[in-house]
Amino acid sequence: MSGVPASAFLSLALILFCIGLYGALTKRNTVIVLVSIELMLNAVNINLVTFSKYGMMPNITGQVFALFAMSVAAAEAAVGLAILFALYRNKKSVNIDEMDAMKN
Amino acid sequence: MELEQLLDFKWSIMTPEFIILGVATLLSILDLFMPKSMDRKILGWIGVAGIAAATVSLAGFIDEPVTSILFDTFRLDSFAKAFKFILLIGSLFVLLLAISFEKKDGLAEFAGEFYYLFLTALLGAMFMASSGDLITLFIGLELLTISSWVLVGVTKRNKKSNESAMKYVINGGISTAITLFGLSYIYGLTGTTNIKDMSGTLMTMGGSQNQLYLLAIAFFMTLVGLSFKLATAPFHMWAPDVYEGAPTPVTAFLSIVSKTAGFVIIVRIFVSIFGSVPATGAQDALPMLLHLQDYIGFLAGATMIIGNVIALRQRNIKRMFAYSSIAHAGYILVAFTSMSYFTFDAIWFYLLAYLFMNVGAFAIIQLVGAKAGSDDISAYAGLYRRAPILAVTFAVLILSLAGIPGTAGFIGKLNIFMGAFATEPAHYVLASILIATSVVSYFYYFGIMTQMFFRPAADDSKFNIPVALLVVLIGSVVGTIALGILPNIAFDFLHDNFMQFKDFLQ
Amino acid sequence: MELLNLYQNNYLIVFVFLCLGVILPVVALFLGKLLRPYKPSEAKYTTYESGIEPFHDSRVQFNVRYYIFALMFVIFDVETVFLYPWAVAYDNLGIFALIEMTIFVFMLIIGLVYAWKKKVLKWI
Repeated sequence: MSGVPASAFLSLALILFCIGLYGALTKRNTVIVLVSIELMLNAVNINLVTFSKYGMMPNITGQVFALFAMSVAAAEAAVGLAILFALYRNKKSVNIDEMDAMKN
Repeated sequence: MELEQLLDFKWSIMTPEFIILGVATLLSILDLFMPKSMDRKILGWIGVAGIAAATVSLAGFIDEPVTSILFDTFRLDSFAKAFKFILLIGSLFVLLLAISFEKKDGLAEFAGEFYYLFLTALLGAMFMASSGDLITLFIGLELLTISSWVLVGVTKRNKKSNESAMKYVINGGISTAITLFGLSYIYGLTGTTNIKDMSGTLMTMGGSQNQLYLLAIAFFMTLVGLSFKLATAPFHMWAPDVYEGAPTPVTAFLSIVSKTAGFVIIVRIFVSIFGSVPATGAQDALPMLLHLQDYIGFLAGATMIIGNVIALRQRNIKRMFAYSSIAHAGYILVAFTSMSYFTFDAIWFYLLAYLFMNVGAFAIIQLVGAKAGSDDISAYAGLYRRAPILAVTFAVLILSLAGIPGTAGFIGKLNIFMGAFATEPAHYVLASILIATSVVSYFYYFGIMTQMFFRPAADDSKFNIPVALLVVLIGSVVGTIALGILPNIAFDFLHDNFMQFKDFLQ
Repeated sequence: MELLNLYQNNYLIVFVFLCLGVILPVVALFLGKLLRPYKPSEAKYTTYESGIEPFHDSRVQFNVRYYIFALMFVIFDVETVFLYPWAVAYDNLGIFALIEMTIFVFMLIIGLVYAWKKKVLKWI
């Protein structure tokens, strides 16, 4: 474990973040978009924990920040899913490209 | 940590926040245990009283020197105080709008939530204004964002409202993630989340090329993430849809309180963190913020142009105001770009002026929209014949939004314009875009005026204005004209009490 | 450099496992194809449901209530994230954290009361 350099974790986080961003921008199903956003937030958590252990000045603050980011991510997901739920009841669809009621 | 230490903190400086938190909690409990048949409007009035009490208690701290508690995570400096006034007054007006909003599309069932979610969102914004730590800044931002998501989708039987809430969630979620990713790099480089310590560490770091590179990435990611929140081009696409679909008081909230909070966080993060990093390895180099200023300037220019030009072809008044609010964010970004001696004053004054003129305009949009059943611009035809005073009021507010002399909007724009020339080198391009796009904006603002004064009315029915709405209208018109004719009221207030925000970095 | 080599060697094991994982099903299926007789008939192509004739769509929609419960669970589950570190470090944190946590739990209880009053906890 100790043999793994910090840059490996950072690249993992960066790759996860990019996968999440790609998914959030291209997927058609809203649930998958929300999952992708969670992926991006989890990439941030990996970053924070890595810096908190291997950073220039390692300290515990990063882990505390990660805890807060986790709970906020959960709140975001819950509200997002609840809104999706309301939308599905009215519209019977969760596809992003069908959300086009407002065009100028 | 022992009890003595706990009691040592000067908790009293958090009084405004405690009041808002207490009122929000009280309202949520009251709403749950009130009989279903009772009118929920009383909850709204309790909320208004709470915000008023918080404003009064904040005014009591106006002479307080910079104080920070909880290990510098919560600080009350003049910057926090000045912007909290805008947030509180803005929310007060918005809550009055909400009280007189017609509860339909399933909103009647959630009228209680509708009131107290405004308070929680305000609480988040206030925490952002006075946080000295990235964690509290982030929590405040998210409290504001998540509450406003729910508010946008609160009319849950309305398809448009659902849809706009979903779009807001997706855009907001992505922007949060991007911002946070940028912030995590800043944490990694400095090893602390305290903004003051961060700037100290970065200043002495000197920095190898790699670190500066990473810091620049962090700068851009944070900028992009927060640009989503401010709805500046090219990240503005969510704003028109969300503004159109949301209930009108919520739209007003987004364009006033949310936007103010966005500028608060952008100033906090960028000025205090990136304002102190030397852009190259040398110690005496320009700060990173000034070094990368051109990019913010580009954002400002693009925002002004896109906002004003696309607003020209809008038929829905809420969409038009969405684009107009995008353009106004661009104007304020000009002030932020120029980073002159007056920047803080200019931003503060413009946000205050924008608060007054916009909240009044949204009050009229809400009134006319409820009467006509649509937000189409044709609903304003012949408003002068039907309700002359209302039409004149709207005209004053629109003139102010357009920036005609004698109104608050003009003084605000003038400040920003002068600020753009006050630095070396002066921002001629941005200043000329500011003027040119202001002229473009006259077209769509005057389009509404043409409808009101020169088109025949479809029907002759009169308006009956609820008391709460009347208060908002009077307050906004008085504020707009007073700040337009006697801008020194605001500036004296600013200079006497806040000393040019000198304690921002102390 | 030493560290990096060690790090890359660790990935070698992952790679070997990946190869094994791919090869195993390929070989097994290929051998099966070689050995088994091939005599298709109509009855063999029907869906197999434990010897019973298939009678409705294979996609079943879950009751919507499950999702509401799931949302409730997500929120209350994640709050443990704050309670757990506090419980572990309780002796060091002292009375200050206790008061904070009391406020925190009180707010959570309001949330629970909200869910209860809005009839989320009831299975209709």
